Amino acid sequence: MSAPASENARPMALSKEEPDRLVIKWSDGHRSIYTWEHLRDNCPCAGCRGEFGQPPDPFRILKPSELSPRPPLAPVEIAPVGNYAYKIVWNDGHDTGLFTLEYLRQLCQCSICLGK
Amino acid sequence: MQPPGAGFQRITLPGVKHLVAIASGKGGVGKSTVATNLALALHMHGRRVGLMDADIYGPSIPIMMGVTHVDPRTTPFPIERFGLKLMSMGFVVDANQAAILRGPMIHKYLTAFLTQISWGELDFLLVDMPPGTGDAQLSMAQTAPVSGVVTVVTPQEVSLTVARRGIEMFRQVKIPVLGIVENMSYFVGDDGKRYEIFRHGGGQKLAADTGVPFLGEIPIDPRVAECSDDGDPIVHKYPDSEVAKAYLALASRVAEELQQAPPTPELPGLKL
Repeated sequence: MSAPASENARPMALSKEEPDRLVIKWSDGHRSIYTWEHLRDNCPCAGCRGEFGQPPDPFRILKPSELSPRPPLAPVEIAPVGNYAYKIVWNDGHDTGLFTLEYLRQLCQCSICLGK
Repeated sequence: MQPPGAGFQRITLPGVKHLVAIASGKGGVGKSTVATNLALALHMHGRRVGLMDADIYGPSIPIMMGVTHVDPRTTPFPIERFGLKLMSMGFVVDANQAAILRGPMIHKYLTAFLTQISWGELDFLLVDMPPGTGDAQLSMAQTAPVSGVVTVVTPQEVSLTVARRGIEMFRQVKIPVLGIVENMSYFVGDDGKRYEIFRHGGGQKLAADTGVPFLGEIPIDPRVAECSDDGDPIVHKYPDSEVAKAYLALASRVAEELQQAPPTPELPGLKL
């Protein structure tokens, strides 16, 4: 069961670039770039994606905290989960998305990946 | 599963050189039997060994090691027996009671066992996992510094298909699978003939298919069950038996695989 090189690649360093971008440098030399918005739009948690791929509840009532004016959406922490994923903690308190390393590679917005 | 609280706080065990999970997707293949006897075999090789029972619902380590339910208010953990340091839910919950718990409580108990027990300096802390690919396995993968996994199978196809799922889970969460050990491999009768009661070669085939090392075969011997039920594992009671020799060889092999496995560095994080 040989895997492509990118499947075994590990993040070597994470950094913030410009006001709203995450950069991941991978062990295979790849440099991934993501906007905050792109990461949040693609949050894989059950609340955002719906469990088992179903759409989220259309009748969900927003909490007052979700309606009040807030600073622009941004992560406060990108924390490793074991050896296989990252949990992103957002400034609105959302923290249930676990981004696996493979998923982060798929989400990459660098010019090479977008050109594929 | 999302553990309760902030979650995913990485556990550090500075005194423990290698944290090794004994796992299988399948139940009933002898994970606890392998875990106890492998732990004793490692101890006989002169290593300092702990054994933690991660099967919260169905702990087997207490009966196999001959330690009954104790009063946790007066008994310090871990409990020492045959030179091993032990912890199990079975020490604190009476055998006549059921541990009725949802997933988040499993996470709580496992992290408490790892962090609130004075394991001290150990070469190996073996963790006897429950069957499956659920809460206990995820908790270990998300929070514990697991050096590797030993997968236990029996030779027949039904064991292998489920064990394959277990191996796939550890591959996905990027925990090294040290190898596969085939339990109940064969039986040598009084006539000296080898009987393959549960078929043959399954463990080797699964190892080849999944690209992980095959660590060895453990033969069937009725004394394994007798010894486990009596609380004196076969490696300790009959150290010259064929089964004990197989475990001693397995112990050397596991130690070798751990030596060769490159350490997995922690993933970098980012605070903003």
